[in-house]
Amino acid sequence: MSRNTNPSMNEAKFSDTEKGASSVPAHVEHTMNTPLTRNNGNSATHKNTITNENFINPANIENAEHTNNIASATNTANNANDEQAQPSWLAELEQQSRRQQQTFIDHISSRLGRPRATEPPQHPFRGAPTFWNEWSWNEQERIERFTAHFQEVGGHVVSVDSLEAAGEWIVQYAQELKAREIVRQQLPELQQLRLEQRLPDVHIAVWNENVQIDWRATAAGADIGIVMADGAAAYTGTVMVTSSAVQGRSVSLLPTVCIVLLYKENLHTRLGELLIPMDQRGREQLPAGVHFISGPSRSSDIENDLTIGVHGPGIIYTLLIG
Amino acid sequence: MSTSEQRSTTVKERADIALNNDFLRKAVRFTTERLRNGKQIASTEHGNWDEWRERGRQIRLHTIAHLDYYLNLFVDNARANGVHVHFAEDTAAATEIVMTIARHKQAQSVVKSKSMVSEELHINHALEEAGIEAVESDLGEYIIQLAGEGPSHIVIPAIHKNRYQIAELLSEDAGEQLPPDTTILAGYVRRKLREKFLDADIGMTGCNFAIAETGSMVLFENEGNARMVTTVPKTQITLMGMERIIPSWEDLEVMATLLPRSATGQRLTMYMSGITGPKRQQDGDGPEEMHIVIVDNGRSSQLGDPEFQELLNCIRCGACLNVCPVYRQIGGHSYGGTYSGPIGAVLTPALNRNVAEWDDIANASSLCGACYEACPVKIPLHDMLVYLRRRKVERGLGNRWESLGMKGFAVVMGNSKRLGAALKMGRLFQKPIVHNGTISLKVGPLKGWNTYRDMPSMADDPFRERWTKLEQELDQQSVTMDQTMQDRMEQLIQARQRRQRGDRNES
Amino acid sequence: MKVSLFITCLSDAIYPQVGEAMVRLLAAHGVKLDFPSVQTCCGQPSYNSGYWEETRTTAKTILKAFQDSDFVVSPSGSCTYMIHHYAELFKDDPIWLEQAHALEAKTYEFTQFLVQVLGITDVGAHFPHRVTYHPSCHGSRLLGVKEEPMALLAHVSGLELVPLPFADDCCGFGGTFAVKMADISGAMVSEKVDHIKETEAEVLVGLDMACLMNIAGNLRHRGEQVRVMHLAELLYEGVAVR
Repeated sequence: MSRNTNPSMNEAKFSDTEKGASSVPAHVEHTMNTPLTRNNGNSATHKNTITNENFINPANIENAEHTNNIASATNTANNANDEQAQPSWLAELEQQSRRQQQTFIDHISSRLGRPRATEPPQHPFRGAPTFWNEWSWNEQERIERFTAHFQEVGGHVVSVDSLEAAGEWIVQYAQELKAREIVRQQLPELQQLRLEQRLPDVHIAVWNENVQIDWRATAAGADIGIVMADGAAAYTGTVMVTSSAVQGRSVSLLPTVCIVLLYKENLHTRLGELLIPMDQRGREQLPAGVHFISGPSRSSDIENDLTIGVHGPGIIYTLLIG
Repeated sequence: MSTSEQRSTTVKERADIALNNDFLRKAVRFTTERLRNGKQIASTEHGNWDEWRERGRQIRLHTIAHLDYYLNLFVDNARANGVHVHFAEDTAAATEIVMTIARHKQAQSVVKSKSMVSEELHINHALEEAGIEAVESDLGEYIIQLAGEGPSHIVIPAIHKNRYQIAELLSEDAGEQLPPDTTILAGYVRRKLREKFLDADIGMTGCNFAIAETGSMVLFENEGNARMVTTVPKTQITLMGMERIIPSWEDLEVMATLLPRSATGQRLTMYMSGITGPKRQQDGDGPEEMHIVIVDNGRSSQLGDPEFQELLNCIRCGACLNVCPVYRQIGGHSYGGTYSGPIGAVLTPALNRNVAEWDDIANASSLCGACYEACPVKIPLHDMLVYLRRRKVERGLGNRWESLGMKGFAVVMGNSKRLGAALKMGRLFQKPIVHNGTISLKVGPLKGWNTYRDMPSMADDPFRERWTKLEQELDQQSVTMDQTMQDRMEQLIQARQRRQRGDRNES
Repeated sequence: MKVSLFITCLSDAIYPQVGEAMVRLLAAHGVKLDFPSVQTCCGQPSYNSGYWEETRTTAKTILKAFQDSDFVVSPSGSCTYMIHHYAELFKDDPIWLEQAHALEAKTYEFTQFLVQVLGITDVGAHFPHRVTYHPSCHGSRLLGVKEEPMALLAHVSGLELVPLPFADDCCGFGGTFAVKMADISGAMVSEKVDHIKETEAEVLVGLDMACLMNIAGNLRHRGEQVRVMHLAELLYEGVAVR
């Protein structure tokens, strides 16, 4: 990960396409020895809670039984502007905004030279061209393309037969990495990894299992974050993760390494196959955060020279299960 | 939009500084070449690129043509999601809203992800005046913030700086000498900004797209800083140009196909995030309070203007900058505004409604059309530049000498006899200054030309004077046209006549 | 059938040999060109500078000159494309508008005329030289003339075509741009010539004398020996030597 923009060369350093292999580039280890937050030490005090699965939300447990774990109705948007809790300055801004809305939108109509449009207009060009929506790859191709695309930009893909095997792989990887802190989402599948038993010397934090903790700081101090993907698109090499009470955004963002678990049956061909369901679910069923992740954090802002691991995780693994 | 000190100079003066800065020109060439090659490869690999461009254009045309409906729908849905939506007609109104929120939040620090609207509004300046620290978290933005400059490229803000200059800036920031090694420099910024993220009271973002039907906002990025800004601080403020709307997530697939490929040649940026309202009550992270400020600032004046409405279709990919042969020579700061390159040359005067400014910026183009060819939503920027020039002339603000010259041009070119006479006169007058078939005198309009080139002299016998003899000569050796060729020509004429009849029947 | 030559003011005044090469080349295929001497300039200089009223005056002389022609052929993609702007100039004038549409439909750039209209890609030319090609922006990008010159060059025997690096980049001419923004334009043409030198070509060929005048001017200014030719000249010379 020196100054090297050739994806294949990056790949060589990360070579891990075969099952179970892993490697940690030298500079990453260096980063990990650097305290990432001022609160780094705090999380150690919560070790006693690690085996205690404590789901906040029963609806999510049910939902999580299905491999296609898309957030449920409990994720519903705040019916907001619940005036009761609003401070007066905000209520004032809110009133001002509602007064302006009429004028602002009417001004647009008048510029467009017609009365205000209130009915949904005909949208004949909605979404991708027809030819695009009519093709897909078979499972083998989806796996191959996803792997190739994710790796091409510096991500890693490991195929495992089962959740059990995924657990084994993670254990081995964490040991190699000498990980001290792992944060994972609070989902039944991830509990089945039995990391707590298998990695007795590592502190495993379970997202949001205890409301008293500063979870953001915990995630920022973790070496590894483990999340479930709700879906993936092979064409762009993208995994989709969503937020909920038990699925923190920070888990896939703040740790040094991000491990994403993806069931093969949730791997689609096109990005549209992940996006169109958002329209179908509708506003009220959408999670607050939907994140499409296509590789490690990177920047090319210095001389367009590729650097991996700016802000987000510099190392990302997708464990393809099944 | 542009700062006052920039307005006091002309594009020529600013360009001269850039043209004499080899450092800058090399840096700009190097990076734009990479970006345009990347785009070329990515769009070819994807295939059917022109169909996708047309699709993108249609979606944008449709949305803007019904912007009142879609924006209103977005506002209602965003509110239902728990977002506080605000409207700002101009910079002052937007600043006032942001400052009101910051004041009541008793904010000491605002951490920002990349937002061209925030650059346009100079929000950092306002925050700093109020004693609030504003931290740009995009690596490139952080660099130019340290340098006290504005972005010189829509996508790569520090494109004009090389690693040595950047190492110097970051070393000063760090208080220790950092080597000019990209990995080490980026590593420094990562560590430094981690603290800033966790400290910040407010996270501020821009908005790539806003989805009307669900009230969601979408951000494209590679570093993860926009995710940080929308995950860590308790309050999120999003600044959004009023035209950022698309109807649905389904439409987002088209934008997600066009934007990253056009901007950086990627299949998709490393992160694409859809944010639908503040964090849910039981979520462990995400902003507790979310504001979206919808900014007009000159945009609505493009609506209903047949020549400029399409300007609002722009998705801010920067592809037009990367192919522009003028941008390549002079970089972004020469344009004197927040937005540079071909899109900036049109957008800056259009948003400012500032006739005086139309002068030189619109002239800084050879009208080569590379911007149009690169644009993923097919905005005819090269035509718009001519419209700007024309509007200036129509308002009587044209250069006096040029106006006279163009009147003379029309007189000569309005009649072939006058043209013939002018050619004769020209030949007569050029005699004393022609040497060896060229004119290298450096006076008047010839000065600029002849600094870089030799001017050819006029021919002794212009074509119109050669014609009679040539025609006579060819008449004597006439060749008969091949029958198939003749048939082709007849068919073309007939097809043309059918089309013309069809047109007439329709109208 | 009346096929008229639209010479363009630049070829008329400075490069008459280009028009002559076109006329002779087409005559060899039985196309007898007509030259309406009332023609002047397409009006692009004033159009691009924003002086549309002045441009209308000029455009009308062109519309009148080619009223009776079945085909109009011109040695410049840029001037041909300018005719595509006439409809916009006369959008509020139904009579001239109809003429504008008619002229646009029957006007062809030189290589378009050879390839699309006559169906010729091989003129039987021999030109044993190392050649590089600069595609002018308006012709290639806006008028869409990309394949035609390539097809014609491919059939010239003995010709070695060397790809020009950054061929699609503008040479910096841009009409009054070269005068108003002389230093930017100068930087652009200097870079274009640097790329031409990299090809080590003996000949630079193109389809627009304005761009070629700009490039040739810089080549000459720098004392470079590269010969600059319009494709019509190259093809005619290649036929004439046989």
